[in-house]
Amino acid sequence: MTAGTAHIGMREYGHDAREAARAAVMLSPAVLFYVIFFGVPMLSLLVLSFWHVEGFDIVADFTGANYQKIASSGLYRDILLRTIGLGLLTAAITVPIAFTLSYLMRFVFPHKAQFILQLVLVSLFSGYLVRIYAWRTILGKQGLLNSALQWLGAIDRPLEYLIYSNFAVIVTLTGLLLPLAVLPIYSSMANISRDHIEIAADLGSRRLHLVRTVLIPMALPGIRTGFAFTFLLAAGDFVTPSLVGGSQSIMIGNVIADQFRGTGANWPLGAALAFVVMAAVMLIVIVITHLIRRVTRW
Amino acid sequence: MKDIVRTILQAKLNAPLDRRRFIQGGAGLATLTILGASENSARAEGGKLGGPLNFFGYDGEQGPKVTKEFLEKNGIQMNAAFAGAADETLTRFRTGGRGSMDIMTMNKDFQRSVIDANVELFQPLDLSRIPNAAGLFSGFKDANWLVRDGKTYGVPMIWGDEPCIWNPKKWDGVPDRYTDFADPKYKGELVLLDDPFGNIWLFAKSVGVKDPSRLTKQDLDKAVEAMLTIKPNVVTIGASLGDMADVLVRGDASMGLGGWAYQTIIAKEKGVDLVVGSPKIDDRFFWSDAYTIAIDAPNLDNAYGFIDFITSPEANAALATELGSGCTVEKAYDLLDPSIQSLYDYSTVRQPGAGILGTQTVVPKQEAEGDIVGAQAWVEAWQAFKVA
Repeated sequence: MTAGTAHIGMREYGHDAREAARAAVMLSPAVLFYVIFFGVPMLSLLVLSFWHVEGFDIVADFTGANYQKIASSGLYRDILLRTIGLGLLTAAITVPIAFTLSYLMRFVFPHKAQFILQLVLVSLFSGYLVRIYAWRTILGKQGLLNSALQWLGAIDRPLEYLIYSNFAVIVTLTGLLLPLAVLPIYSSMANISRDHIEIAADLGSRRLHLVRTVLIPMALPGIRTGFAFTFLLAAGDFVTPSLVGGSQSIMIGNVIADQFRGTGANWPLGAALAFVVMAAVMLIVIVITHLIRRVTRW
Repeated sequence: MKDIVRTILQAKLNAPLDRRRFIQGGAGLATLTILGASENSARAEGGKLGGPLNFFGYDGEQGPKVTKEFLEKNGIQMNAAFAGAADETLTRFRTGGRGSMDIMTMNKDFQRSVIDANVELFQPLDLSRIPNAAGLFSGFKDANWLVRDGKTYGVPMIWGDEPCIWNPKKWDGVPDRYTDFADPKYKGELVLLDDPFGNIWLFAKSVGVKDPSRLTKQDLDKAVEAMLTIKPNVVTIGASLGDMADVLVRGDASMGLGGWAYQTIIAKEKGVDLVVGSPKIDDRFFWSDAYTIAIDAPNLDNAYGFIDFITSPEANAALATELGSGCTVEKAYDLLDPSIQSLYDYSTVRQPGAGILGTQTVVPKQEAEGDIVGAQAWVEAWQAFKVA
């Protein structure tokens, strides 16, 4: 190394250090925000999950009793499995619809893409509860769908499974979460050049093969985010199953909410349940995204 | 005066009722506060009103519409925070709330537990500072969940019951027992309320448990087993009383268990007739909520002033109407619209001790006592019922 190159190296090092310091300063408000409003509450909840309840008091000690109770309870296991199943099903339906819609916007109707995107997003402008009640109006015994089918003569009596059922929960959650899946998937797809598609087609790639080996891998970051959004939000929801789920569609979110309100509430148990659910859904997201990557590898 | 109040209440009841209004309370009722305030405000004798007033209790029971004018006129800033259940008040009190809480609202079962257990939470009231309390129905003046050793710990503001509610086009009435709802003719017709205590209590009573608020594990299992016999007939479990009314109004179910008489009025305004009643043998349960003042309340004058104001006949009538409940002040009854008057049987509260309100307990103890299971076991049993 000559003196000249050392001098340049020092200058670059100094420049990099200044850039890093500048980046740290710029990032610090966001980091601070996350630490205060996410890290600290989560840590508090984690600590709480090792405490226990005596009468009306929460006793600050260190016990794994809540986690033991969850592990040994068939009730919590059943509800957790049911929740994961409904969440996966919702994501498995929502993501392909969002993918198809994004494909149509990107490659079939590119000139109408913004308009279609606005239509998809406009539902986010209305309140969450309002949208759930709208689905109740559509799916109810005397709702729009049943009335239309009866008017058309397709059915004699209302289809009762349309509302207050797992079916209603999945349909409603799909409707609610679709915009959140479309956004990242369309965003990923917008970066795929039409040339890639044409080259793959010229090389003999058939339509499904092209989707599997070109489109999905290239849109994978968006698909992964869309899947994570829909699965996590569906699995964590407790309002939708309460309002359209009927007498059997209890989800783990409902059980956790019960632990934080009313007589018989048990905050430490609720906190432990929240962490168990968090761990379970994160594990599933990791496994599923890994599987998607493997299946679509060419 | 009475006619003016009645006219306003009438206008409120005949106005279109949307969900937001239903939740937030009736528009127009604020006017009543002017009427009430003009006669009764600032009667917290010996105290100066103004400054903050901290409220912790059930949403709506702070009477935002009813007390607006009173608070403004007296320079009181209401800081309201809400509890999902009465025992959250104790949690708040013990986790830093002491010394910052003024008014708390309690349901009668929890208030009785606190008084029985000598738990520090609310203070005995100086009734000379709440002259309007003299107008309470006689049943509320000596009720055992409010008065102990000659000291009064609460001023009730509303009361009611939870009967069955049904569509008369579909049903003539209700069976004698809750367990009879297992009949297949009710398939796809029942809606319950998401309330572990109310439902388990009703079915424990239906299967013959003598005191349904004190269940052994066997009693609890028996009650849940009975509930499971009606499960195939249950369409859904309403998230709230308002949601339950919505299910009935939409025609998605035609029979509600553990309902609310006010649901008939909600339904009527939407063009649907519903009626209430209770199984002849099992009957129903009753509730009442009261204002209390926390120990070490920092704004005692405001707390007394507020309670006295809201216990005036006009304010109590307005609050009862807004919350679709029974009024607790005798003269308020005369101010109610007949449709609100007829929601509840007032003979209960006109008798000393408040009749069944005084003898009935619904909510279980928080902790297990020997063979008697605690509230957490009821909650878990209810969750098991829902998932079954």
